[in-house]
Amino acid sequence: MAEERPGSWFGFGFCGFGQALGSGRGRQVLSPEPLRVPDAGTDICDIGSLSAAWSYTAIVSSAGRLLLSGSARGAADGCRDAWASETLRAVLRDGPGGPGPGAELQAWAPGAALRGEPLWARPAGPEEAGREDDGAACETRAGPLPLLPGARAHLSPRPPLCRPLCPALRARRLALGAEHALLLDAAGQVLSWGGGRHGQLGHGTLEAEPAPRLLEALQGLRVAAVAAGGWHSVCVGETGDIYVWGWNESGQLALPARGLAEDGQTDAGEGTGELYTWGWGKYGQLGHGDTASRDRPRRVQCFVREQLRVTAVSCGPWNTYVRAVEPGRS
Amino acid sequence: MAEDGNRDAPAAGLGALWGALRALLPRTKEELRLDLGESVERSVVLLLQQAADLFYGGRRSECLQTSEVVLDYSWEKLNTGLWQDVDKDWRRVYAFGCLLKAVCLCEAPGDATTVAAALRVCDMGLLMGAAIFDDILIKVAAVLQAHLLPGKRPAHIPAPEQPCLKKARNSHVSIPDLRSERAVPRLRCPSLQHFRKHHLVPQTPVILEGVADHWPCMKKWSLEYIQEVAGCRTVPVEVGSRYTDEEWSQRLMTVSEFIDSYVLNEPRDVGYLAQHQLFDQIPELKQDISIPDYCCLGDGEEEEITINAWFGPPGTVSPLHQDPQQNFLAQVLGRKYIRLYSPQESEAVYPHDTHLLHNTSQVDVENPDLERFPGFAEAPFLSCILCPGELLFIPAKHWHYVRALDLSFSVSFWWS
Repeated sequence: MAEERPGSWFGFGFCGFGQALGSGRGRQVLSPEPLRVPDAGTDICDIGSLSAAWSYTAIVSSAGRLLLSGSARGAADGCRDAWASETLRAVLRDGPGGPGPGAELQAWAPGAALRGEPLWARPAGPEEAGREDDGAACETRAGPLPLLPGARAHLSPRPPLCRPLCPALRARRLALGAEHALLLDAAGQVLSWGGGRHGQLGHGTLEAEPAPRLLEALQGLRVAAVAAGGWHSVCVGETGDIYVWGWNESGQLALPARGLAEDGQTDAGEGTGELYTWGWGKYGQLGHGDTASRDRPRRVQCFVREQLRVTAVSCGPWNTYVRAVEPGRS
Repeated sequence: MAEDGNRDAPAAGLGALWGALRALLPRTKEELRLDLGESVERSVVLLLQQAADLFYGGRRSECLQTSEVVLDYSWEKLNTGLWQDVDKDWRRVYAFGCLLKAVCLCEAPGDATTVAAALRVCDMGLLMGAAIFDDILIKVAAVLQAHLLPGKRPAHIPAPEQPCLKKARNSHVSIPDLRSERAVPRLRCPSLQHFRKHHLVPQTPVILEGVADHWPCMKKWSLEYIQEVAGCRTVPVEVGSRYTDEEWSQRLMTVSEFIDSYVLNEPRDVGYLAQHQLFDQIPELKQDISIPDYCCLGDGEEEEITINAWFGPPGTVSPLHQDPQQNFLAQVLGRKYIRLYSPQESEAVYPHDTHLLHNTSQVDVENPDLERFPGFAEAPFLSCILCPGELLFIPAKHWHYVRALDLSFSVSFWWS
C-alpha cells in the first residue's frame, strides 16, 4: 500500500459514485488506499488543493490541472483552487496570462463538465483583494475557498451562492456546516452564525444567529484553524488544544455518545504526523478498516505501520483524504 | 417461491410474505418513479433510479446498500434547518429508501426479528417521511404486522387489567383538592350554535359530556388491546419528567417496549408517548375514534385537523403552555388534572424568552416559585379532573397544564 515517492495522497470512506479513492469503484473503502483518479490513469502525488462534495471530488494539482471524479467528470487547466458542493462547483482560474491579474472565480452547476458557460464568473485577481487597514504583514489574499480572495464574500451551497462578508471582520478562514458557518479572523478569534439547534454555534444557547457573532468562550485563545462538520464545530488553538462543540450524535465531539460500542483503546499520541479520527464511521471514513462509529479519537494505524508521516487532511462529507510522506521529507 | 401449505416454518411463511409485499409495488420499474422538484440534487435522482433498477433486477443486497445511502443522505436533509421548512421532496426520498429497504429485508428467508426490523423501517418512513405511491408504507406495514401477529406479544402482560390500574391509582400520584378552585363549566350535548355562541366565539373553555362517551375506544381500549393492535409499531417516546428539563429526551421504541419500560414493572423514569399522530400510522385505531362535530364550526378542512395520541403512566406532566389552534381533548383511559389560564394572563405565567420555548411558561404550576414569579399567585384559572368519555374544549392560545392521575390515554384534535 505504501508509495515510495514523497507526498503521496490516500483516501478512505464513501465512493459510491466512483470518486477517486483507491480502486475508484465499489461503495466504500475502509482503510487508507493510494489515491487514483480513474480518468487520469496515474497516481496523484502533487495536489495543490482538494475539495470533496458528497458525490464527487475536485482535485487541483500544483501545476494547475483540475480533475473531477465521481458524479461529475472532467478536467481543465489553469486552475488554482476549487470548491466542491452538491449544488455548486467553484473554480478559481488563472487569467489568460497565467497567475496574477485577470484571475477569475467561476461557478458551475455540478452536472456541467467545465465546458461552455459557467453559471457566473467574477474577477478575483490580487488587485481585487484589497489591503489590510492596519498595514500589518498579513495575507492580503484570504485563505482558500469557500472564502473568496479579498475576504469580502464567501460561497454558499444554497442561494444566494455568493454572500458578502463585512471587511472589518478580517476573515482568514471560513468553514461551512449544514446550516452554520465558522469564521477565523486575522486576530485568531472565532465567529459563528446560522442555525444553532444542536449547539453548533458555541454561544451556549440553541438560538440561531443571523450575523457573525464572536465566540466569547474562546476569548483569550489564539485559534490557528477552524473546521465544521454537518452540525458540529472544531477549532485548534495555537498551542495545539482542540475544542469541539455541537451535535454528538455519532461521537463527533469525542465525548461519550449513547449507543456506541465500547472502545477499550486509549491512544496517547506521541510524536507528530499521526492521524486520529473519530465520529461517524458507517462508510469507512474513519479509516480503521471497519464501519463502526467511535466517540473517542483513535489513531489510524495504517500510516504508523507503513512508517508514514501525515502532513495534511481534507474531509469530505462521508470520506477522508490524507497526504503522507516518509519521515525526513517535507 | 413455492408456498408450503399449512406448515408454519418461517421460510414458507416468508415466501407468502414476499409475495404479498411484491404485489403492493408497481409491476415495472418505470412506475416506481418519484416526481421530484429542484431541491433534490441530480446525483440523488440518479441514485434513486439505480436503486429501482437493482430492485427490479432482483439484486437484493446491492439494492439494500443503495437504499442505505439514500436513507443516510436524505436523513441529513431532514435534520437541516427547522422541521417545518424541510422540503417535502426530501421526506419523499426518505420514504422511498424506507420502502425499498423494508421490502428487500423480507425477500430472503428470515425470522420474526427480520420482519420486526422491516416493520421498524416502515415506521421510520411513516414518522419522518412523506406519503408516496398512495400511502404504500401504510399497506406494507399492515402486511408486516399481520405476519408478525401470533407470538409477538410479551409474556408478562397481566391477564386481568384491573390490578394494574388500581395500583396506578393508589400509587404516589397525588390527587388535587379542587374544592378551592374554580371549575371548568360543563355542558351536556350542546347544539352547535350554543357551543359557538357561548364558548367558541368568546374563547372560553368547557367540558362537553355525552359527546364522546359512545366512541368505540371508550369500551374497546385497554392496555391489552393497545398492545395487540400497536405493540410491534415504533413510536416516539418522551423520556424525562417534563420537556423543559435538561435531562429530557426523545427516543424511538415499539409500543410494547414503551409499555414494558415505562408503564409496567415500576418504571424508574417517566416515559410519555406524547403528541404523536398514531392514528395516521395505524389506521385501525382511527376507526375507534371520531372527529367531534363541533370542528365543522372552524375554517379549516377536516383533513387538516391534527389528531394526536397521548398515552402514558400516572404522573406524566405537560408543563403550562399554549398552542396556536383550537383543541378538543378527549379522555379515553384514566383521569387527568388540567389547569387553564386565559391568554390575558400571559404576563402572569412568565413565558420563557427564548424562541424555542416562547409558548411555554417558566412556572411549575403545582409547585410555583413565587419569589421568582410573584404575579402567578393571583392569576385566575379554571381547573378540572377530566374523566373517560369527556371532551375538553381548550380555546386557541389558552395556557394549559396537564398531569395524569392514572394510566392515561387521551386524544387531542387541533383544528382552526
